[in-house]
Amino acid sequence: MAETYNLVEATMKVIQDRRSIRDYTDEPVSEGDLDMILEAARQAPSGENAQPWRFIIVKDAETRKRLGALAGGGSGRRFTAEFVTKKMQERFSSLEDEEKKKAVFEKLTSGKVSTFLANAPVNIVVCGRKDVWDLPYDTSAAIENMLIMITALGLGACWVIAPCIDIRDEQRVKALFGLPEEMKVISIVAVGHPTRPHRPRPRLPIHELVFDETWGQAYYKEQS
Amino acid sequence: MNDKNIPLDYANSLIYDLEKAFWDERGRGARFRTTTVGHEYLVDKCLPLIKTTALDDILDTIAGVLQDINITEKVTFDKEDRLLRVRVEGCVHKQVEERLIDHGVEPFTCVPANLITLAIEEKLDRPVELAEVKLEDGVCHLLLVIFEGRPTLD
Repeated sequence: MAETYNLVEATMKVIQDRRSIRDYTDEPVSEGDLDMILEAARQAPSGENAQPWRFIIVKDAETRKRLGALAGGGSGRRFTAEFVTKKMQERFSSLEDEEKKKAVFEKLTSGKVSTFLANAPVNIVVCGRKDVWDLPYDTSAAIENMLIMITALGLGACWVIAPCIDIRDEQRVKALFGLPEEMKVISIVAVGHPTRPHRPRPRLPIHELVFDETWGQAYYKEQS
Repeated sequence: MNDKNIPLDYANSLIYDLEKAFWDERGRGARFRTTTVGHEYLVDKCLPLIKTTALDDILDTIAGVLQDINITEKVTFDKEDRLLRVRVEGCVHKQVEERLIDHGVEPFTCVPANLITLAIEEKLDRPVELAEVKLEDGVCHLLLVIFEGRPTLD
């Protein structure tokens, strides 16, 4: 028998079930599902109701491949810089399995960690109007709305900034899609059907995150 | 032509404030939003002087420009595989880095580094990443990574 939830439970379940999915089957994303995802984005909060978001739906395999290459190039450069300065080794110092560590370093520095955009049936390029004050906040809210809806639909997605965090890469993405000067590329959302269920990633305990009236004064007592 | 000079302290205080504002806004991500600072100058003043696609020629030309316009006293290079170590002595912007460090911010951008990076990218189409800007004994030590080529998924 199917599980049933009230609205609050269902909302929390969808939020808690969201994962960053990077492996997809070949099954296409239906137009009906895309409509729901984009409608969720359209309903996001927006300062002054400016709605600076615009979306480019990319299904063309060649374009996705180019986005994947741009993403891989960008993250590969950044992770290599982190590696050669030994900061990556510091970040993963608690990982004791040397073979696993080596594989992680290879995956990160090669940029392969971000090339999956090419394999997602749909890439949603999130763009924003620069003449709006709250551009990064509004567009981020729209992206989160999409991720929640994607989870509710049983699809998987990953929010990717690798091809546009560096202004040099962002310029290439803008050129690829013919974006006008007054627009900015914010992120890419890769969408598809997950190949397998994913375990949740660890989250910091709530008592470390929330303060009572002033910084540093714990709101929640630490659970023993 | 107006040949008035502005005081160096004034220029550097503005650069510091701009960099600090970027840092306060983006934290460690600020580095990636300042990678094209210097691009117009590169295109107007440096690229026309680079006559070959030899890496040494590119580096020497950028170093020469920086010295000719009195931005730096001396720029030297040390190549080791894909790593390029750059030693910048007597940079007029050094006090920007010093002020950032004083305020607990690791220097994250550098115009000489950007000129070198952008020149290599323009002339050789090889990606370059600035990995580190370190200030030691009054000398800036830059660490850059030069990649073989732009990745494709073909």
